[in-house]
Amino acid sequence: MLLPLAHALVSRRDLPIPAWLFAWGASIVLIVSFFALSVAWRSPRFERDRWRPSGAAFSRALLSYPARILCGAIGVFLLGLAVYAGLRGTEAPDRNFALTFLFVTCWLGFPLFSVVLGDVFRPFNPWRAVGRVVGGAFVLIAGQRFVHLPYPRRLGRWPAAIGLLAFVWLEVVYGVSGGVTVGVSPNTAATALLVYSAYTLAMMAVFGVEEWCDNGEVFSVYFGMLSQLGIFAVEDGRLGRRMPLAASTHWATVPGSLAVVIASIASTSFDGAQEGAFKGAISSTFDWFSEAGFSLTASLRLTDTIFMLLCFGGVALVYLIGVRGMATVSGGPPLSKLRTGFAHTLIPIAFAYLVAHYFSLFVFQEQAQLTYLLSDPLGTATTDLFGTAGAGVDYKVLSANAIWYVQVAALVIGHVVALTLAHDRATAYWGDYRQAARSQYWMLAVMVSFTCFGLYLLSAGNA
Amino acid sequence: MDSKYTRVAVGVVALVVAVVLLVVLSSGGGGDKTTKGVTTITIKNGKPVGGVAQLTYNEGEQVRFKVDSDVSDEIHMHGYDIMKDVKAGGSVSFDFPATIEGVFETELEGRKEQILELTVNP
Repeated sequence: MLLPLAHALVSRRDLPIPAWLFAWGASIVLIVSFFALSVAWRSPRFERDRWRPSGAAFSRALLSYPARILCGAIGVFLLGLAVYAGLRGTEAPDRNFALTFLFVTCWLGFPLFSVVLGDVFRPFNPWRAVGRVVGGAFVLIAGQRFVHLPYPRRLGRWPAAIGLLAFVWLEVVYGVSGGVTVGVSPNTAATALLVYSAYTLAMMAVFGVEEWCDNGEVFSVYFGMLSQLGIFAVEDGRLGRRMPLAASTHWATVPGSLAVVIASIASTSFDGAQEGAFKGAISSTFDWFSEAGFSLTASLRLTDTIFMLLCFGGVALVYLIGVRGMATVSGGPPLSKLRTGFAHTLIPIAFAYLVAHYFSLFVFQEQAQLTYLLSDPLGTATTDLFGTAGAGVDYKVLSANAIWYVQVAALVIGHVVALTLAHDRATAYWGDYRQAARSQYWMLAVMVSFTCFGLYLLSAGNA
Repeated sequence: MDSKYTRVAVGVVALVVAVVLLVVLSSGGGGDKTTKGVTTITIKNGKPVGGVAQLTYNEGEQVRFKVDSDVSDEIHMHGYDIMKDVKAGGSVSFDFPATIEGVFETELEGRKEQILELTVNP
């Protein structure tokens, strides 16, 4: 997929998946879906995550004060380095530490590590670290805790959902020059990081550090959402293991959670589609705006923004139709409960989309991150900290076939996991298991749409 | 199975089959068309005449193209990381094996103007 950022960073993109693989992928999706209907279990299995502490000594070491301080310090240092490199380093996007670190290493790396290892962003979250230190200092000086405003429940995770869209908007829409998308510049990205830092710290001061991380802080909420799929979690100050996927079943009870997961799917879809499936439509809308008298930059930004919001609306619409369909099956909960009750079933789809679209970019660009971008973060060719400043990216580590198989496998596995969660939730909501199975024809249609749309985006890479 | 839901399921199947067919048919009857011979790209006022040239090869074949330019710039074949300078009114030839799969761009590096898109299929 050619996202403008990847365009600026690696100047290489994936070949579209060939028609035969598309056909096979779609067929497998349908076969596993109908198979899933026939093996349906009758009582919920994932509603409780059965968390159990494990590895007491390891847990104590990992969650000790020195370890937490070290992680926080690393987070703050890396944020500082990214901002510094962005402001002071080269404007060549592929040679500046800031862009790859922010948009590839963190934005794509943390989702992966969150699913596998649990919520690893939390200890490294630089804003949380700063917020906690400031909070601690306040207690020491003032002799009492800072009094925060109560966080409005109804606001829930909406700030994070909007923030997520804004972040991707900055990444793929904002960077425009002369009617061509060129990707965001290191300088702009660093400035945005500073603005976001100020906003986050202010919100933490108003509502409290943990409260804001749980609801409004974009990265905490987003990476935290994906960590719900995995088996490792810290509870009551101890590390433990839980049933895979199960924690996600109670993630979406906070208002706005549905918007977060839809924003994730929509932004990945838009990024994948803008140079492929939507290319023609985007270019004619762009022409229409520029002929209507808008500047080239304004026309392109306006067009991309509209298409990004259309993606959000489209994904939401498909899901809401499915929910409405489910509501027609008698014996279940009311519509509003169904709407939030199945939101978590989209998390595996969101993760599958991420893997399918960015897997190759991550593998290639991390080579740059760990070699020349680390040795020469400013890209000025004057430093060589680790002796790797002259290294390059080896594009032969992944063959086109390997990328295709990973892409299709990610979508198919995400599809199966999503169906599993949806069926399980239905058995919890409908007392009668036949009714539960009936309700799931609707979710099956929703999931098949998302997965086949995902496959279609991959096949229309540069059609 | 309730007949109403059977119809929904059949509808979904039909939809997917239709989309698959659409994609298969629109992919140009299958078979990878590859570029033969030496392609010449003419640069006029710093832009490629006739738009960005499309070259398609299978892995292992020899990529051959020539750039005639009326501007002086550096030509950068991304991915393969081949850089060649061209003078105003001059021409420069590229001849290298297609060893890396994917879609790559060639740019007039100074102008950030894309002149060629190279597709290497496996």
